[in-house]
Amino acid sequence: MSKLKYGRRIISNLIDIYKTSFKFRFGFTVIFLMCIMGFILPLFSPVNPRAWYSVPKEQPPSSRYLLGTTTMGRDVFWELCSSIGKSLTIAVITAMIASHIGLLIGLLAGIRGGLLDRFLMFLTDTFIIIPGFILLVVVVTVMKNFITIPLMGAIISIVSWPWPARQVRSMVLSLRERTFVYTARLSGMNTPKILIFELMPHLLGWHLVNFANTILFSIGTEGSLAIFGLSLLSDNTLGVMLYWAINYYALYRGLWWWISAPIATLVLIFISFYLVSIGLSEYLHRMVR
Amino acid sequence: MSLRTSKKDLIEYVVTRTIFYIATIFTSVTLIYVLFKFMPVDAVENIIFQLTSAVGGVYDPESVMELRRNLYEMFGLGGNPIESYILFLQRVFTFNFGPAFISFPTPAFQLVLSRLPWTIGLLLTSTIITWTLGNLLGLIAGYYQNRKFAKVLEAMAIIIYPIPYYVMALILILLFAFLIPIFPLGGGMSIIPEKITLDVILNIIWHSLLPALSLIIPGALGWSFISARTLAIETLSKDYTRYAWIRGLPSRHILRRYVLKNILVPQTTVLALSLGGVFSGAMLTEVIFAYPGVGMLAYRATFSGDLNTLMAVLILSIFAVATSVFLLDLLYPLIDPRIKHR
Amino acid sequence: MDVVLKADDLSGGYLLVRKGSSEKNEVYVDAVSDVSLQLERNEIFGIAGESGCGKSTLLKMIYGLLEPPLILRGGSVTFITVDGEIPITSLSENDLRRRVWWKKISYIPQSSMNVLNPTVRIRDHFIEMFTFHARMMKNEAYAEARKYIDQMGLPRDVLSAFPHQLSGGMRQRVVIALSLLLNPNIVLADEPTSALDVISQKVVLTMLEEAQKELKNTLVIVSHDLGIHGVMTHRMGIMYAGKIVEIGKTEEIFEDPLHPYSEALIRSLPKLGDKKQRTGLGGHPPDLKKPPSGCRFHPRCPYAMPICSRTPPKMKMIKPGRYVACWKNSMEE
Repeated sequence: MSKLKYGRRIISNLIDIYKTSFKFRFGFTVIFLMCIMGFILPLFSPVNPRAWYSVPKEQPPSSRYLLGTTTMGRDVFWELCSSIGKSLTIAVITAMIASHIGLLIGLLAGIRGGLLDRFLMFLTDTFIIIPGFILLVVVVTVMKNFITIPLMGAIISIVSWPWPARQVRSMVLSLRERTFVYTARLSGMNTPKILIFELMPHLLGWHLVNFANTILFSIGTEGSLAIFGLSLLSDNTLGVMLYWAINYYALYRGLWWWISAPIATLVLIFISFYLVSIGLSEYLHRMVR
Repeated sequence: MSLRTSKKDLIEYVVTRTIFYIATIFTSVTLIYVLFKFMPVDAVENIIFQLTSAVGGVYDPESVMELRRNLYEMFGLGGNPIESYILFLQRVFTFNFGPAFISFPTPAFQLVLSRLPWTIGLLLTSTIITWTLGNLLGLIAGYYQNRKFAKVLEAMAIIIYPIPYYVMALILILLFAFLIPIFPLGGGMSIIPEKITLDVILNIIWHSLLPALSLIIPGALGWSFISARTLAIETLSKDYTRYAWIRGLPSRHILRRYVLKNILVPQTTVLALSLGGVFSGAMLTEVIFAYPGVGMLAYRATFSGDLNTLMAVLILSIFAVATSVFLLDLLYPLIDPRIKHR
Repeated sequence: MDVVLKADDLSGGYLLVRKGSSEKNEVYVDAVSDVSLQLERNEIFGIAGESGCGKSTLLKMIYGLLEPPLILRGGSVTFITVDGEIPITSLSENDLRRRVWWKKISYIPQSSMNVLNPTVRIRDHFIEMFTFHARMMKNEAYAEARKYIDQMGLPRDVLSAFPHQLSGGMRQRVVIALSLLLNPNIVLADEPTSALDVISQKVVLTMLEEAQKELKNTLVIVSHDLGIHGVMTHRMGIMYAGKIVEIGKTEEIFEDPLHPYSEALIRSLPKLGDKKQRTGLGGHPPDLKKPPSGCRFHPRCPYAMPICSRTPPKMKMIKPGRYVACWKNSMEE
């Protein structure tokens, strides 16, 4: 099967999932809107969202300031858009690194098996036991002045790779059991061909699921670090928004819009990525039957 | 056909798990050492600079040298890699993390240890409740898969599962401490008591209710529920469950003895794997609720750049999680007959 | 003839709904089509046929085990007791579970390797049957279980074992013992010997045979292995593509198979002393989603006639107790 036909088949599968799974559709749509908010809208922002006191401070939501303003004189709406973009960027960087490392390790462990498998799994399980967040706190505390967006993404990937690795390995193991691999081997095709033809679609599917889950995890972790004050405080991310809101006691002073906006956005992002992920995994499970 | 209830098998299992326990701790400590090796030396120097130049910081040359030596050893900087590794290991296993900057000159280890009971108390109770509740709910939702209430539970789980603990904590505070002010906004207890009385204990429990809830709700309706439900559905389609049905055994009995009993083992594995995350999550929850546990301590340490305390927290939490997983491993022979009887 | 169960024009199959693509497809697999037969008291009845011919489905329908996507399309199954008739096909599953299952009719599923609960000891499998069906107290049930195990010729220490500690053959024997526990009138066994080694097969079959002789119940054995039918069953029915094509005394069918399919089956068996080469049957079983018109066997039948592809043959009684559904046989009158 040529690469072109392959690509087309994958795309038609994706369109299929979009059409049949409500969960996937909903999640995907919200993510799409979020991307527009995060990457396209900020280009049109009338104020520099990072500049303090550019608008009157502590205004409740109105027709002028859609989501109100903060104590530092920033427009919540534009700050939100810029934050969404930054958070998503960090998350995508983490997902790129971590899910691919996980894919590699999971594949190695699952296909080779034996001693290599046990060693890799021991390593993975050890990483799972280390409380990732605390490790990140130590690392980021030391690196506080050197943090940039890509670096943050890379650091979070240190603790994000074990879950995809485990997942890929268990998927590879269950695929190995499937009869069609045996029959393919019996019909004379050599091993690399078996891998590409039969395993790839499933692999790609689960890889996407892991990708989505890692994005989820990364946004959550960046938020947690930000609450600890361990993020790019000079820039905007969703976590940093939360940080400032909490530190200026937004809630106690009745500035509910300042803290609700990032919370609501975070909840929406989490739910939609999760919906995409289970939409995908339900489809993959059905494909297997 | 061998029917021996072999004590030998049991002993073999315990020994294997103990070896794994030690190996895991050793490996994680080493991995951390390797990780720190990648961090720039300037970073540590930076911290020292911050500490010495801040108001109220450490000035005299002896202490600074001591500090530098301390940090260098802990972060494996400078000198022969093998030597520094051994020094690092020494520090870790003797729990010598140096003095805590936020509470000079109390040893960091002692400081963390004094806060540990708060965190462990909160965690232990909420994890046990989460796991039990999640199992029961997941079991019922899996068995009555098509009924309305099961579908409602599933929908709730889909919404709640991806939300991290701290977001849930913030929402709970918004709802139950702010909008409808039932619970206290934070703290471990209202006033420091002179002696422990029943009132004091109740007060402590009252203050830990909301933090506990913020851990239980996402758990019992989140990861614990979802995995229990998935496992229950899988177990329902197994041959032995169908055979029980075919034999005319009543539903309740099948639920208890065929489904529940058979999801306990994989659910324990799920629990063991999530302990790392639960611990991390609890730390954040403490910050949001100003609960005086290890998490709160780490929070304060972060602001002061107190690396000693942070290291102490990191290493001790690794020990805590690894030990909990080990204890869970030891429980397996009780629930999985395949281990005790080969 | 003392009939204990009869099936009248029983039809059923699997309704598959495809949700993967945007259009919802419904496909019906016609696994059991207009099957009529009667089971007598105190006999061993065999159902033979290739894999996929519908014999396991037939057994499930007789038991009343309609697990989705299996549905009942038509006909009925009636269980005849001294106190009257029980219409299996019209009873609700709850009623079946309370009144009929295991007490009157029991079922041995295929691949009984994995039907025992891995977290529960063997004795508890027995005890729970007594506790729930016979309303016994636990210690009473335990004593009964011990007695029963001895009766069945199984070693005493099986009771305290967990299923994974027993061999496949031993597990199968436990399952058989369980099925006979409440002394049901009918025992339905689906491929009781598949996945077993030859020695275990013999042990299992002997166990079933001896139990039947002593309890004088009706044992139904479904198997694709004609050899088993030859040594065990008194009467048998041959199934092809969802239809029963021949019924009669096992001996007679083996001596003189009337239906072309039975003929091919019997002829393919090796015979002592006969050195002729065995001929198999050409072609393959039809797709039950779209079965052939008329007689379902006609595409592979060496005697096929024009009418065979047009009209399905009805079951005809050649002599008392001997039935065939074939145009060739109806013509020869």
